[in-house]
Amino acid sequence: MNTGPGTKDGNRQGPKFSAEATFPAGVESERMGVSMRNPALCLATLFLSSALCLTLRAQTNESTPQPANQSRSDASASQQQSPELDSAKPSDQAEGKKSLKESEDSGDKGKTHLRLGTVWLGAAYSHYHGPYYPYGPYGFYPGDWVYASLWHPIWSPYPYYPAGYFDHNDGRGEIRLTADPKMAEVYIDGAYAGTADRLKSMWLDPGAYDLTVSASDRESFHQRVYVLSGKSLKITAKLNADSSSKEKL
Amino acid sequence: MKWRISFAAALLLCVASLATAGPKGTVPRAGADRYTTHTIRDGVGIGIVLLSPEKARKEFVSDVNRCCVVAEIALYPAKDKPLDVSINDFVLRVRNPEASAKPASAKVVAARLQKNAASDRDITVSPTAGVGYESAGYDPVTGTRTGSGVTRSAGVMVGIGGGPKPASTDKDRAVMETELSEKALPEGMTSTPVAGYVYFPVARKKNASLQLQYTLNGNTVVLSLP
Repeated sequence: MNTGPGTKDGNRQGPKFSAEATFPAGVESERMGVSMRNPALCLATLFLSSALCLTLRAQTNESTPQPANQSRSDASASQQQSPELDSAKPSDQAEGKKSLKESEDSGDKGKTHLRLGTVWLGAAYSHYHGPYYPYGPYGFYPGDWVYASLWHPIWSPYPYYPAGYFDHNDGRGEIRLTADPKMAEVYIDGAYAGTADRLKSMWLDPGAYDLTVSASDRESFHQRVYVLSGKSLKITAKLNADSSSKEKL
Repeated sequence: MKWRISFAAALLLCVASLATAGPKGTVPRAGADRYTTHTIRDGVGIGIVLLSPEKARKEFVSDVNRCCVVAEIALYPAKDKPLDVSINDFVLRVRNPEASAKPASAKVVAARLQKNAASDRDITVSPTAGVGYESAGYDPVTGTRTGSGVTRSAGVMVGIGGGPKPASTDKDRAVMETELSEKALPEGMTSTPVAGYVYFPVARKKNASLQLQYTLNGNTVVLSLP
């Protein structure tokens, strides 16, 4: 293993060390040491960021006000003020407490949302070798817009959504669709959107839509969906066998 | 001439009714006794279910738990006796601490939810990692020779605030209003069973017992909600 003379980490063994042995001779020992420690630093940073996420999340949960003592004092006060409410059965009260136990977090105060942003990984290399691209970008020619307008589902006798219509965009909400069978056809407001296997994640502008999932010999699935910006809605459409087709068999 | 005017008026009414047509409320169950809390007064069946926060989260895209207690109410009119349904006939009484509230309209609830969403704080954590190749040469600052090899880097970006909050735009408010109104208890005269959600702008508290008061033909019906 060629680690250069005087390498500080020269006593290390194992495959990790042999990977670094491809460095050319003459590379300074300190440099080698730094490159050996970098993976550990990367891992440590990622661990630290995860720990930061968890800590912030825990703080968010703890920040919910829970005035237990205050509610107790209020309870004793209200008992004196409103004896007519004592007609409720004790068992009912106990059940009421149980059902409302996890609902303390409601209120008008703002919440803190902790979310994982974009994770950037990778490296890139680009080299363009060839003649000039002779055409302008899309939309350069007036005909592009005319052509694009014909793609809108409203203007077609068999309306459908063009490719890329459900791509992610700021101000949109997501519908995560799971359908059985996977090749079921998906319609939004009566216009064909595609097959379910290609529409696992659809991004739509805020609004109310009529979602239909249908397949041959299966009962159709209909649901009115409401899309809000930045929100994700999970829908599972399991299409049962059509009863009329069963009777035929 | 008269029949033309009446025909035009009828046509206008049809168009208007079609334009405003849409799903309203929920499907009533087979009977009032199918609801957790139920009673029959003057031949009118009343069934109520208080939605738990989990159930409300599943039923609504709008985050109604942040402002309201939601109850599903079903009314079964007496035979041959139409019932005038109005959400103003309901009052929710909360004990510990003492409070009472009349139902809020979908418009008001949507506006409150939009305001709450706009006041949220966002913390975004973005880990970064990179890998590169460095060729051999001399450091321009120190003049020392640097080695060639693979370099690695990692970091984390933390962003606080900024950007639009989820469900906080005017468009979102309109969508929430649509959802809440479409699922709300239908109002007006009815001779068939009706059901839907009613939104009470009361914060849920631990150890709180709830009672629903319904004014039916001038008489008050009190129902304890589990």
